[in-house]
Amino acid sequence: MNDMRLTERTVTEGVKISAQGVQVHYGTNHALKDVDVAILDKTVTAFIGPSGCGKSTFLRCLNRMNDTVASAKVTGMIMLDGQDIYDARVDPVQLRAKVGMVFQKPNPFPKSIYDNVAYGPKIHGLASGKAELDQVVETSLKKAALWNEVKDRLEAPGTGLSGGQQQRLCIARAIATSPEVLLMDEPCSALDPIATAQVEELIDELRSQFSVVIVTHSMQQAARVSQRTAFFHLGHLVEYGETGTIFTNPKDPRTESYITGRIG
Amino acid sequence: MSIAALALLVLGLAALGFVLGRQRAVASVKGDRRALHSLPGYYGWYVALFTATPAYLLMVAWLILQPMLIAYQVTGMILPEDIADGSSRDLVMTDVRRISEGMDSFAASGMTEAEIVTLSEDPAALKTALEGVGVALGSDINPHVAAAAVTYRQDVALGRLWMSVVALALAVGGLVLSSRRVGPELRSRNSVERYVQVLLVSASMIAILTTAGIVFSLVFESVHFFQLYPAKDFFLSLTWTPKFGGGSDLGIWPLLWGTLYVSFIALLVAVPIGLMSAIYLSEYAGPKLRGMAKPALEVLAGIPSIVYGLFALLTVGPFLRDYFAQPLGLGDSSSSVMTAGIVMGVMLIPYVSSLSDDIINAVPQALRDGSYALGATQSETVRQVVLPAALPGIVGAVLMAASRAIGETMIVVLGAGAAAKLDLNPFEAMTTVTVKIVSQLTGDTEFASPETLVAFALGLTLFVFTLCLNIIALFIVRKYREQYE
Repeated sequence: MNDMRLTERTVTEGVKISAQGVQVHYGTNHALKDVDVAILDKTVTAFIGPSGCGKSTFLRCLNRMNDTVASAKVTGMIMLDGQDIYDARVDPVQLRAKVGMVFQKPNPFPKSIYDNVAYGPKIHGLASGKAELDQVVETSLKKAALWNEVKDRLEAPGTGLSGGQQQRLCIARAIATSPEVLLMDEPCSALDPIATAQVEELIDELRSQFSVVIVTHSMQQAARVSQRTAFFHLGHLVEYGETGTIFTNPKDPRTESYITGRIG
Repeated sequence: MSIAALALLVLGLAALGFVLGRQRAVASVKGDRRALHSLPGYYGWYVALFTATPAYLLMVAWLILQPMLIAYQVTGMILPEDIADGSSRDLVMTDVRRISEGMDSFAASGMTEAEIVTLSEDPAALKTALEGVGVALGSDINPHVAAAAVTYRQDVALGRLWMSVVALALAVGGLVLSSRRVGPELRSRNSVERYVQVLLVSASMIAILTTAGIVFSLVFESVHFFQLYPAKDFFLSLTWTPKFGGGSDLGIWPLLWGTLYVSFIALLVAVPIGLMSAIYLSEYAGPKLRGMAKPALEVLAGIPSIVYGLFALLTVGPFLRDYFAQPLGLGDSSSSVMTAGIVMGVMLIPYVSSLSDDIINAVPQALRDGSYALGATQSETVRQVVLPAALPGIVGAVLMAASRAIGETMIVVLGAGAAAKLDLNPFEAMTTVTVKIVSQLTGDTEFASPETLVAFALGLTLFVFTLCLNIIALFIVRKYREQYE
């Protein structure tokens, strides 16, 4: 379905995140079983699979958002640039500044557009003055392709924007803390096709600066935006590899069944 | 026929109507229920409601209007010279009603109506007979009053009879007419639906009309007060010295100041503590602790305020006097604004915390996740995301607590004393509007002097005050809503 793009998929960067033997339990429910994966830098990696397959769970392990769920227990090793992020010396708050996240539903804070974007930089002291903060906000909004639409009303509430604008505001908010990895949990599932196209275009541009991991239900979307694809099924990582290969020549019969629409 | 028996009879007719309507509906389609517009039960309800409602409405209207009409007629029988000095027409009418009640007792003990009329023509014998059935009258019975009592009694009996006849006729008429209309085409379900709607509307009207009635009576008595006492003095005078002999100073400011001062201290205690405990409970505490601590806090809200008042009187007051007021040279009274304010604040903590806790819990988890995902700590998230989002609700909770503080009486009586004073020293005894309303109305008083009527003006002022507070609350909530949603 996307042979014509195979030539663009050359990836030369090194490994950004490597996971080995990751298991997640929610109470008695074994949600993720023995996942090994190596996520590359400056690459878009897509996680696909049917609902409840563990792809979002794994995504939330990468910035330790599962810590906020009391019943979740994560074992195994996840290395970010060679540092185990579940090590006792790692502060999850610091980690999340490096590994940003965009959620399924746009969740702008009940603040102005400006304050939404400035939230992260203010917390982490990334800007030394008002002028520098203005600069960070402008750059982030520009990167998120929202600047032209909101530059005249930065003091308006972020919740007053349209759904697609809100999601791009959330992306701008995540970019503003200059993360190294950007996690996106079904970022387009609440958006219409036009807003989806804008966000997908944005993801492709972001690849030059970050490693992007995106969870999606849409196989077309995975094929359009990603260079690497991981297929999850019933808590297992079934197959991981170059996106073109996964979609045109999958090794595992379960992957083939899923992408041809027989399971999931 | 007694009213209870009549009501039961109408209810019985309605029950009959239910059975009849249901049967007729099923019979009209020869047992094929699918051919009916509504379920058979709705046809039953349709007939039952049309049987009972008009009859009951008539009874209510009759019971309200009949005493007024009879009183109007009977009052005319009493001449001005029948009213003794120091008495009034109302008091004479009370006698008329009591004598007629006594006559009811005669009738119950077997006396015929003719005998009662004969008896009423002899005032002395009537008085003795009335004493025999427990109706003691202060003075001798005036012949006009006795005649009025007889007429009153006859009118009441006649009215009751006619009411029974008309109500039963309405019930039977409703039953017959509505059951005739039952058929597969009748949309009884929609009619019953409309009945439900009217019922709900009238339920909400009761609350509104009661409020209007309260305001009306307050305004009426306050106008009466301002006719006796100049409004300028009431609103501008700085002294409160009521003397029942006359020549009192009834300035509202010392009382209003006391109310505001005590409420201010109470909120100063309740808002920070309540809000912080709400934040702890909703954001930090585990589900187990929350499950225990929240009901425990709410139990505090169930303690009667008089118990808090005792706590203020016996524990907090002397403690503050011995360890703060006296060493600091600020006074030596155990009743003080501080005592009442602190104890009232403790009483308000559960209100603030319980309401705020619910509001903070209603803030979507997605906002917290968004903040955590940007590397914010828990307290940064609470301060910068959760609290701003919950602000309108929290403001509402605080203003509700403020309304309660302003209306609180018992804690102030026992904690702050009863001296009306304008003072800044929080260790001085002061008093509030509510306390003075109680003290002006306690005891054997008639509502004719400015010293008692002032209570209504005070009540009206308090009402307007809390009303303004609620309007401000609504305004703030709406303003922030616009910004956040």
